[in-house]
Amino acid sequence: MNNNSTWEFGTRQVVYGAIGAALYGALSWATNFFPLPAAGNITFRPAVAVLIFFGVAYGPIVGLLAGFIGNTLGDLISGFGFYWNWSLGNGLMGMIPGLVMASITDFKARSQIIKAVGWGALGIAVGMLFASLTEMFTGGIDLNTALVGYFVPAFLGNFIVTAILLPILMIAFAGVAARRGR
Amino acid sequence: MLVTWKYRPRNTFIQSLDPRTRFILLACTIFALTIPDIWDYRILVSLFLLSLTQFLLARIEWKDIRRPLFFISILVFLIVGLNGLLSGRGGPSSVDDPNSPILFQVLIPGTAWGVTVTISKLWFAMNQVIRILSMALPAILIPYSMDPNIYGTAFKRMGVSDKISFTTDLAFRFLPTFARDLTITMDAQRARGYEMDKLKGGVVARIQRLAPLVIPVTMQSTVTGEEVIDAMDLRAFGTAPRTWLKELHYAPRDYAVIGLGVAIFITCCVLKWGFGIGGFFVPDFFTKVLVG
Repeated sequence: MNNNSTWEFGTRQVVYGAIGAALYGALSWATNFFPLPAAGNITFRPAVAVLIFFGVAYGPIVGLLAGFIGNTLGDLISGFGFYWNWSLGNGLMGMIPGLVMASITDFKARSQIIKAVGWGALGIAVGMLFASLTEMFTGGIDLNTALVGYFVPAFLGNFIVTAILLPILMIAFAGVAARRGR
Repeated sequence: MLVTWKYRPRNTFIQSLDPRTRFILLACTIFALTIPDIWDYRILVSLFLLSLTQFLLARIEWKDIRRPLFFISILVFLIVGLNGLLSGRGGPSSVDDPNSPILFQVLIPGTAWGVTVTISKLWFAMNQVIRILSMALPAILIPYSMDPNIYGTAFKRMGVSDKISFTTDLAFRFLPTFARDLTITMDAQRARGYEMDKLKGGVVARIQRLAPLVIPVTMQSTVTGEEVIDAMDLRAFGTAPRTWLKELHYAPRDYAVIGLGVAIFITCCVLKWGFGIGGFFVPDFFTKVLVG
């Protein structure tokens, strides 16, 4: 199912990068205005699970493009403008789980699902930490606000969504790929 | 659900500019404020007025822009402004000047603790709001005043590779399709009794209930992707440099605007690093107005 080299950038990566970005943008837009309430200032974005799934299934280039372009698209259609650091943070959030693509051979296997969720958590941590810390330079906030006010809620919300929806996406994808035969 | 582009052709100066010019001016404004770390109100107000001028020149209708402005205002005034006012953190250390006159204290109920608001913190919070708005206003304009069909070409002409530019172009084309798919899926699931609006239960249950909406759309998109890949491969995509249908040409006004952006960036760097101008300080008139 997964025989591409990790850093290949061909037609497949272009198309799935665009599809991932469009899906991430559309789903982000939906949850920007209709957020799922959670504790404190945590807002769940189900789109994050889709982004990490695209990284795991199609590789780091696809994850990076889907996260960067998708977040930009979501912010643009929501009318929020362009925030390069959050877009790049989202790109990292998709790229890092993509590093595990080559070792995911069975999308239904429990051990491989756990591995994907673990790499997804790492991607969320790195991506959101990057975006939160760079907000110190662009937004003029202090380290405490960056970590407590931005990073922790973003990480928790995104991780919970990923831990719940990514396994479902992977199992569904295993079925689709088996029917498709490639 | 409707995903519609906010863009409408308007006969304005902003829309007559090349899209590359606007991206470059935005980048120059952001870099001018963040790289030399500018906090001098004279420079901040000048750049804010430049951004406000762009915003007004775009002539976007109030009904279109009021919702995003509301969200941006909450972010800027409540989160960033109040943070600056109460803590004074996030800027240069001179904000926490112990000699700055005290305006008032906010006591935490039931405790002896409180937060002291000084003239310096108040001035810093105001500067912080102006600084962020200077960077946000030109960016907010983009979806309303830039043709979505031209993003890919603009990136290509700015030196981005064919593949990345085409990915951007393709993403903009897919977006309405997937938005339509989401609407169709939601309607189909509702017909089967799915209640999107009544997400009962705990956190896990609520997120799990989104699966009937997210999974079909995502899986359908992976199938669509294979068809698109086949079509593109059959047309030998990626085997040679591609051509782009839309042409972009700089006009004299574009050179003038790019020159202005570059001049702003260089001026901020020279002022800060060459002359030591651009750091945070509280002007005397502000202190006199508040404490006499």
